[in-house]
Amino acid sequence: MRPRFTAAVALTATAALALTGCTKKNDTDTAAGGDAGAKTYKVAFVPKLQGVPYFEAMNAGGKEAAAALGNVEWLYQGPTQADAAAQADIVRSYIQQKVDALIVAPNDPDSMAPLLQQAKDAGIHVATADTDAPSSVREVFVNQATADGIGQGLTDALLTAMGGKGKYAIVSCGQTAENLNAWIEVQKAYTKEKYPEAQIVDIVYAGEDQAKATQMATDLMNAHPDLTGLVGECTSSAPGVAQAVKDAGKIGKVFTVGLGTPQAMKPYLQDKSSTAAILWDVENLGYLTAWAGAQIAQGKSFEATNNVSGDLSAVTYDSASKMLLLGPALAITDQNVDQFNY
Amino acid sequence: MTTESLNKNDKTEKNEKSPKRVRVLPAPVTGQEVVLVGVIALLWAGLALSTPAFLTAGSIQPLLVATAPIALIGVGMTIVIITGGIDVSVGGAIMVCSVLTAKTLVGSGVNLGVAVLLSVLTGGVLGLVNGVLIAYGRVHAIIITFGTANLFMFLGLQIFGSGTVNGIPGTLAFFGRGPDGRTLGVPHAFLITVLVTAAAWWYLRHTAGGRHFFAIGGDAQAARLAGVRVQRRVLLAYTTTGLLVGLASCFVIAQGTSTLDQTVGSGKELAVIAAVVIGGTSIMGGRGSVLGTLLGALLVQSVASGVTQLGWRSQLSDLFVGIFIIVAVGADLLRARARRSR
Repeated sequence: MRPRFTAAVALTATAALALTGCTKKNDTDTAAGGDAGAKTYKVAFVPKLQGVPYFEAMNAGGKEAAAALGNVEWLYQGPTQADAAAQADIVRSYIQQKVDALIVAPNDPDSMAPLLQQAKDAGIHVATADTDAPSSVREVFVNQATADGIGQGLTDALLTAMGGKGKYAIVSCGQTAENLNAWIEVQKAYTKEKYPEAQIVDIVYAGEDQAKATQMATDLMNAHPDLTGLVGECTSSAPGVAQAVKDAGKIGKVFTVGLGTPQAMKPYLQDKSSTAAILWDVENLGYLTAWAGAQIAQGKSFEATNNVSGDLSAVTYDSASKMLLLGPALAITDQNVDQFNY
Repeated sequence: MTTESLNKNDKTEKNEKSPKRVRVLPAPVTGQEVVLVGVIALLWAGLALSTPAFLTAGSIQPLLVATAPIALIGVGMTIVIITGGIDVSVGGAIMVCSVLTAKTLVGSGVNLGVAVLLSVLTGGVLGLVNGVLIAYGRVHAIIITFGTANLFMFLGLQIFGSGTVNGIPGTLAFFGRGPDGRTLGVPHAFLITVLVTAAAWWYLRHTAGGRHFFAIGGDAQAARLAGVRVQRRVLLAYTTTGLLVGLASCFVIAQGTSTLDQTVGSGKELAVIAAVVIGGTSIMGGRGSVLGTLLGALLVQSVASGVTQLGWRSQLSDLFVGIFIIVAVGADLLRARARRSR
């Protein structure tokens, strides 16, 4: 074995590791309906990550919308790791397939912008959902909740449990995730304004690693013995902070809230290591995304208030920011957790 | 390059007392361990002074638990790297072992012993696949394990089947961060890791079979001519790594939450290789120490916990680990140069 060669290959391949792991899987569900002569619009959605319950629930909602609308073919494919480059490849393949509407939940909004421009140039209607790419040419952003709604929902749920005062810390995930950072800004401002006796002592970033989020929450509790609250800012750190509190035997002393999916949070909501999970109806978000895709594919514009479906009878549209808003945030507690099957 | 590790006197293994034997045996520590112990001691002292809560059981116990899986896989990885190979498939293997074990725990509620056995055997089979391909395929280890890494990820995602594993029972809490994971204050996961490391250290240093790994890494052709069964040794190295990945996967499940998602194992191959390299094992093969790897893993986790506990920005731990790797490789090259000029 040639040592130099070995080392060189080792370095190249470890670097390349970050770029791999994308298995091709075309989740194509054709909703063949309507008249034989009517045009079927291809609406493609590229999630940040495929195979996680959050985006699978969006996919389920999108399929439901496609079936209800009749003239929409819903395409769904995402990278198997939350990786901007792998996601870009999928977006490019949809551009080549000349879909009618392309909706993306970008892992990296900045690098997605030129791709969306490319799609537009190819005559495709583009939109974002779940996470915005604000500096892009997208025609609409399907927003699950405003940053204010999420940030205030998290803060109110936590501070109610903490008795309106005390020190708390935030375990966030991706350091550059735009939506998480926007929520954190609201949490900071809202806590200062509404709960002057409360204080955010630290904000740490664990990536999407559950074990790391749990360890960081443990470290935060050790560093601040008077800490009484923890926020898990994403679906991997929300159960993580609750697990840390449980492991440290501090249930009832340290309260946690987080952005968690209902089934993952259920055991923690039940043993009270988590007070509440703040989320929105993800299936409805998928439904709204598919509906919005069909609208732009047909060149239709949005009203100030849109009747989308039975569940979504009054979806507001803000023409200044070109944003469709799903509705207010939803607090999931041990009382209502069983209503959600994802 | 490493004639000192070429043990030509296998047959006289029992004759430990002869002065000639002593010269053939390398020093019990390779040099890096002493430096690492010093660095860790300094770091811990500094942390103890700046955050009083650092040197408490509530802080050190979780730190040791978090170190365990990386250090345990590191034992296998050290042996693999000593033979001149590498295994970049451990992240994928962790995914397969943990999702299979977690699903079994949820589905059929097996007990601790069965779960561990299942995970270890699964890991062993995956390691055996790597070993057979590398020992008899005559293709470099990085290519093979790079390939199997992707195969394992495919397999893992297939088992996940587009959803997280929810509601994992606390069967594996024996290895966890909570009170069930400790006896007399010592975390079981870390204790097991120390015992495995000690056994591997003794085997590598004091048995002919152990010395053969170094001989292969020094010069595989010379080792073959000296009567070492190279293929069988290589097969053993990768299978051992696989078995340890299986056990470490149980630690990973125990440290995570009651939910397992597809990010499990992601990037862990790099964390393990980092611990091995920081521990002073030469990436070129022929030299290395499992003790160093344990210390390397402990150092990396101490830095991560320290950064969080000091309230520093999370990305600083990446900076420090990067510096450690480069310094460790530099020190290794300097030692190699000093040996040549001697």
